[in-house]
Amino acid sequence: MKYNVINYFLTEGFRNVFKNKKSTVSCLGVMCATMLIFGLFFTIGQNINNWVEDLEAEQGMQVFMEFDATEEEISQLNDELNKIEGVNSVIFVSKEEAYNTMKERFGKNAKAISGFTPDIFAVSYMVTLTDLSMNDQVYDAINNLDTVREIQNKRDTVETLSKVGSTIKIVTFVMFAILILISLFIISNTIKLTVHARRKEISIMKYVGATNGFIRTPFIIEGIIIGLISGILSILVVGGGYNYIANQIAQSETWQKLSLGILSFGDMIVQIVLVYMFLGVGIGIIGSSISMRKYLDV
Amino acid sequence: MPFWWVLQVHGKSTLIKLILKEEEPTSGNIIINGRDTTFLKPKRVPYLRRSMGVVFQDFRLLSDKTVYENVAFAMNIVKATPKHIRRQVPMVLSLVGLSGKAKVYPDELSGGEQQRVALARALVNNPSMIIADEPTGNLDPETAWDIMNLLNEINLRGTTVVIATHAKDIVDQMKKRVIEIEKGVIIRDDRKGGYSK
Repeated sequence: MKYNVINYFLTEGFRNVFKNKKSTVSCLGVMCATMLIFGLFFTIGQNINNWVEDLEAEQGMQVFMEFDATEEEISQLNDELNKIEGVNSVIFVSKEEAYNTMKERFGKNAKAISGFTPDIFAVSYMVTLTDLSMNDQVYDAINNLDTVREIQNKRDTVETLSKVGSTIKIVTFVMFAILILISLFIISNTIKLTVHARRKEISIMKYVGATNGFIRTPFIIEGIIIGLISGILSILVVGGGYNYIANQIAQSETWQKLSLGILSFGDMIVQIVLVYMFLGVGIGIIGSSISMRKYLDV
Repeated sequence: MPFWWVLQVHGKSTLIKLILKEEEPTSGNIIINGRDTTFLKPKRVPYLRRSMGVVFQDFRLLSDKTVYENVAFAMNIVKATPKHIRRQVPMVLSLVGLSGKAKVYPDELSGGEQQRVALARALVNNPSMIIADEPTGNLDPETAWDIMNLLNEINLRGTTVVIATHAKDIVDQMKKRVIEIEKGVIIRDDRKGGYSK
């Protein structure tokens, strides 16, 4: 395509944006609303997922060895556990550590076990997983090892967390799909008004011999420009709002007791920018194409 | 260089729409410049239209563009180079006698002048044929004659001009080829005819 044609498309596209201020503003409003609602769901969802992942990492299984396990067997098991697929970390718990933990648990009544030595405890390993869905697989693999006496697994907690995580993903996705449909509908109607206002120009273009692509392009560029502007506005609003609210929450006392981390906006900005740009450009293109169809039939 | 007059009370617009491929014929063939366009693919229609310039009774100019821009607009559509546009538009404007009005908006012009702009727009891409649907319908008799003389001049320069009109006195004085159509059938085709026998 020649330079002057691209120039013509861009000039016309920008002119449309500024000439039809009312429809531009309403388009911007609807698109920003969609993007803001998406931003809200996305940031909350990401945080919940993050917490689930943190909790997942803490969950795992405790692998107890036989009471008479030798030093050799202990280090051998460590190697074997590390080789299993899905294992994130392996932490050794000695007899003394197990004894001390038990002592702490008894608290004031620690005397009750004072008659025992650490020898009554077995050596064990705390195994954490990379992914909770690997739980059963890892469990079976460990169970097959000779020196393992018992495995304590928090299967119920693990399953609940897994479910919460995937439910959040599904809800976010469904909300996102519905919002895209709603904004597509509204955007295409709004651009339809613009196109309707310019139907005379379009019919003249058709008579002079303009191809459909040529007529459509400025409107699509208009849609893209509006999409990009709403994307930028939404990022500023979501970013500012998120940082403000995150700070407020992080400073509250109840939150500090929970000791859950809050993601910084910087952690999510790349994904949000990508989604917003994709959304803005996509809705712009599809919305204006839908609204053009009727008027190109001259 | 045939100069046609298409006289038909009902259906002349349909005939023009058929030529422009805006409507499909229910039967028969359309042949333009020796090419059968009856089954032309919709994608090719814009390229067919570029070989014809169209002028309407109601001028159909863009009121938010100047005279110059209205004419240049037709060249933009066929993706002409800026250099070509800068050379061609003033030339066509001078041909229709509007050199001094390039920066004026259509609303500031008289009906005759607006129709000249429309003619300039139809001519700017050097079509082989000009199609005019009641070009003088909205003009007073004197201005109508200006436009007719202009069309005659364009015809003498080598462009086929097809006009659909009801203006009896114009047809009688121009003494050009007249084709009369009634109920979809050609009932008369005179080399140098008047409005009626």
